[in-house]
Amino acid sequence: MENSGKNKNIKLKKIAIPLTVLLLTGVITAFSYSTTLNSANNYTKVPDIAVKKKDSIASVKAFAKVYSVLMSPRCMNCHPKGDVPLQGDDSHIHTMQPKRGTDGKGLYAMKCANCHQPENTPGLHAPPGNPNWHLPPADMKMVFEGKSSHELAKQLIDPNQNGHKDMKKLIEHADDGLVLAGWKPAQGSKLPPLSHKEFKKAWITWLETGAYAPKK
Amino acid sequence: MSVLKINGQSYTMDADENMPLLWAIRDIAGLTGTKFGCGVAQCGACVVHLDGEAVRSCVTKLSRAEGKSITTIEGLSKNNDHPVQQAWQDIDVPQCGYCHSGQIMSAAVLLRENPNPTDEDIDNAMAGNICRCGTYPRIRKAIHNAAELQRKATKS
Amino acid sequence: MTQSRNNDNFSRRSFLKVAGLGGAALCIGLDFISEANAAVIKPHEASLAAIEFNPWIIIDPTGKVTIIDHRAEMGQGSYHSVPQIVAEELEVDLKDINVEFAIGNEKKYGGQVTGGSSTIRGSYKNLLKLSASAREMLTTAAAMAWSVPVSECYAQSGHIFHKPSGKKAGYGELAFAASKLEAPKEPKLKKISEYKLIRKPIRRIDTAAKTNGSLVFGLDKRIPGLQFASVERDPRFLGKVKSFDASEALKVPGVKKVFKVTMGYYEFNREGVVVVANSTWAALQGRKKLKVTWDSGDFKHWSTPEILKKQGELIQSQEGMPLKTQGTPTELLAKALKKIDVTYQTPYQSHCAMEPVNCIAHYKGDSVEIWGPIQAPGWIQDYVSKKFGIDKEKVLVNMTFLGGGFGRKAMTDYPHEAVAISKEIGTPVQVIWTREDDATLGPFRPGISYRCEGTIANGKIEALKFRMAGQNNDHWRGGKKTEPNRSTSEGFLKPYYESIKNLSISDVLFETSIPTSFWRSVYASTNGFAYESFMDEMAHQAGTDPLDFRRAHLQEERCQKLIDKMEEVSGWKKRKKNEGYGVAITECFETTVGQVVKVSKNPNGGVKIDKVWAVMDCGWYVNPDIIHAQVEGSIVMGIGAATTHQITFKDNVVEQHNFYDYPMPRINEIPAIEVHIMENEADAGGVGEPGLPPLAPALTNAIFDLTGKRIRTLPFKLSEV
Repeated sequence: MENSGKNKNIKLKKIAIPLTVLLLTGVITAFSYSTTLNSANNYTKVPDIAVKKKDSIASVKAFAKVYSVLMSPRCMNCHPKGDVPLQGDDSHIHTMQPKRGTDGKGLYAMKCANCHQPENTPGLHAPPGNPNWHLPPADMKMVFEGKSSHELAKQLIDPNQNGHKDMKKLIEHADDGLVLAGWKPAQGSKLPPLSHKEFKKAWITWLETGAYAPKK
Repeated sequence: MSVLKINGQSYTMDADENMPLLWAIRDIAGLTGTKFGCGVAQCGACVVHLDGEAVRSCVTKLSRAEGKSITTIEGLSKNNDHPVQQAWQDIDVPQCGYCHSGQIMSAAVLLRENPNPTDEDIDNAMAGNICRCGTYPRIRKAIHNAAELQRKATKS
Repeated sequence: MTQSRNNDNFSRRSFLKVAGLGGAALCIGLDFISEANAAVIKPHEASLAAIEFNPWIIIDPTGKVTIIDHRAEMGQGSYHSVPQIVAEELEVDLKDINVEFAIGNEKKYGGQVTGGSSTIRGSYKNLLKLSASAREMLTTAAAMAWSVPVSECYAQSGHIFHKPSGKKAGYGELAFAASKLEAPKEPKLKKISEYKLIRKPIRRIDTAAKTNGSLVFGLDKRIPGLQFASVERDPRFLGKVKSFDASEALKVPGVKKVFKVTMGYYEFNREGVVVVANSTWAALQGRKKLKVTWDSGDFKHWSTPEILKKQGELIQSQEGMPLKTQGTPTELLAKALKKIDVTYQTPYQSHCAMEPVNCIAHYKGDSVEIWGPIQAPGWIQDYVSKKFGIDKEKVLVNMTFLGGGFGRKAMTDYPHEAVAISKEIGTPVQVIWTREDDATLGPFRPGISYRCEGTIANGKIEALKFRMAGQNNDHWRGGKKTEPNRSTSEGFLKPYYESIKNLSISDVLFETSIPTSFWRSVYASTNGFAYESFMDEMAHQAGTDPLDFRRAHLQEERCQKLIDKMEEVSGWKKRKKNEGYGVAITECFETTVGQVVKVSKNPNGGVKIDKVWAVMDCGWYVNPDIIHAQVEGSIVMGIGAATTHQITFKDNVVEQHNFYDYPMPRINEIPAIEVHIMENEADAGGVGEPGLPPLAPALTNAIFDLTGKRIRTLPFKLSEV
């Protein structure tokens, strides 16, 4: 991929931001950082079933990668804080103001699938597509927009906020068709900052090491 | 060969499966009431009903429409008397009229799913349809009137 | 509504003596047959098939009345309003008539260029006379048949009645006899108070066909043997095709031919490569596979920042060519202790009618036939005739319904190109412009910069000076560059000339290689913003209420009444201080429109438009509901132009493409709009355009009232105020 160099830079920056937020000072050892986290005790524990080896440092580190992807336009645009999706690499409010509807599939003459086809429509600014294109439903909005990494991590593993997903389903979700669609963006739209493979690895690592939430 | 069912009639088409439904309807079936406005699902001039949903035919491939029921503006009612059409006529909504096939097809879905729409419901249904002549105030009024007509028709 | 008659028949029948056509090709559509009372009825040559009383009225033996609309119908209502006028004096019911578009024929119909809001104001007096004349002839024919005095007969609903006996006869029965009579020179016209149709909000006769898809727009027109074409044109407008590779395009199934084509824009040539195919889709697919390289080297390429900078410099450094000068404004401004000297800037605009530009042409060697969404059939006849060496009479131009026009479809370029393509392939062809072509290839409304200077004495304007620098559309048509733009004062109310003794309006020459032309309300759309914003600045300087300030400077009865009405409907006097009310009044095409806009703080940031009140004084009028619709639409278009739309250039290439980056206002963004019409019997003014110019200044003046922030550059974002 010709942009790999650029993407790496983006990746590093994106990771650096949450870490910097986490750390009280610029450079702290992993040990002290872990201690800080533990002493703060403000992360959510997930059921131990799938957790292979608890490792808060590795977990939080992995989540930084996950967060960079989830907050990229390809993921966040359909996890808006309001009831209208976002659009484009600048995540502006979707021009035609389509509303979520109860099932997340739009309303009336403005249902997602009325424009979004089973596949991307060719051409710049033509609608991206997926057979299952939708927003989270009204009773489970799964908002990403505006969430800190701490908030998002907690939300993702809370069954009451994540669509009632247990650990197994969460892991499976990395290969969900609509999640994968993020890596097949419409013509002219940028990819998430990590490859899907990297993302999936970080996602599973985060979950399997205890799904620690970064500090507030 | 694709077979499309448009307004209850079957059309056999020897056409590229990737051809947008819009061009199949206009150029092959010869039904020109459905309009080309932008080609990228921005304006809604090309709205037809695909199994009852207000799809933008300019981005809907022929292959998606096969085996489904397609209704165009020509088939919305036999006598130009769907409540939305009546309401449109009653207060002269159109100016140039070009976008109104799409406007009417969108409004028909709204009224089917919500017989008593509020102004907000109208925004939620109709913001996908552009009118360059600026007939929006009348579109809003006509949808309220159409809802009334529909209610009266259901009662009687 | 039917369109059954063959237009070919009409073109052979021309019985009216026509005069006053001078300059038909130069000025928009005000010319008209000057001798209405010269109408002479002659039977149609095909015996009694139908009788053409005059170019607008044809009656067949069954009594069916066909009324001709000689102008384009693009939403503004000529297809309804012309018949509404004719039916009033002819005494027929609108439900019983056919309406047909005239074919292009200026000898018969006078100017047909549908622009300058001229259809009604340019024709209503003659239409009334022609229709009344026909009615009187039918009445006389009946009286003669019954051997009764004409005074005992009257016309109603397509029949003549004999009052004492109750006898009646249909127009169809009487038409032939009537056609033998001499046309009355001064038929008796109804008083306004006697109108049954005119000034009534009668429903449009073209609406039903717009709700079931049956109405035929240009893009819907089909003729036997029609091929479809799409053209890749130089994005820098005036470049030449250096080379092109058609090999991939020709592989697309359905693509028949690819070749270079030239589209004339007045005397300029715009080159492109056309893909001809057997369907629209194939043509569009083929075009995507084309590879074209352009030679765009021999003209200057402009970018928007440079345009704005250059215009800004010109209005600072040059006096320009004066269009209007009175008193000694320059001297007074130089002496003034306190003056306002500010710059307003407006952007280029694209028309973006919902129906993209398109045209069908069939070149037949010694004749050409054209069908399409066309505002200017006569201009097309002239241009095609000249370019292809075919007699003007043999260039048949058929107007379809237009899916919006706004001035773009008054050009002769796209029909010229279609004819060139048809000539090359030897069959009829429909050329389809994509939305991107339509938005990016122009011609555009020119963006204009204004320098406005003024000074106040005793609460009134002592001296006023307006200078503009922007492209003059006339230059593309060969207009003299040593003369000021004739439209520099467009939009500015004439009564200001009475009250402002020291005034000058001038135009500084500014040219680019970007094609420009008419856009709804033309120069009033930009002038109005600058002049009426500046009037607000002057009022503020004078410490006077902005509407009172205008009242003081517009000492003319109709303006005073308009202001009264504006105050009354908007509750102007009851508004609280700094509540966000703005006002503007502009005039164009003989119609004055005042608007009051109310804005308030948007809880989500910026401001929102709560309501627009519009008062239009267009004098004599036909259909109040169509006027309401036109003003509503003008306001919506004006909101888009003020708050969203700008065509920008980078090295002469347009940076916007389609509705995703040239977004139209949508239903959820439209404020409440209230329209009022002034009632008087003055000569008719235009309706389709004059509602647009006051919106931008009334809006920015309202924002000033609310926030104290003066907006002098369009567009601006409401959310960022």
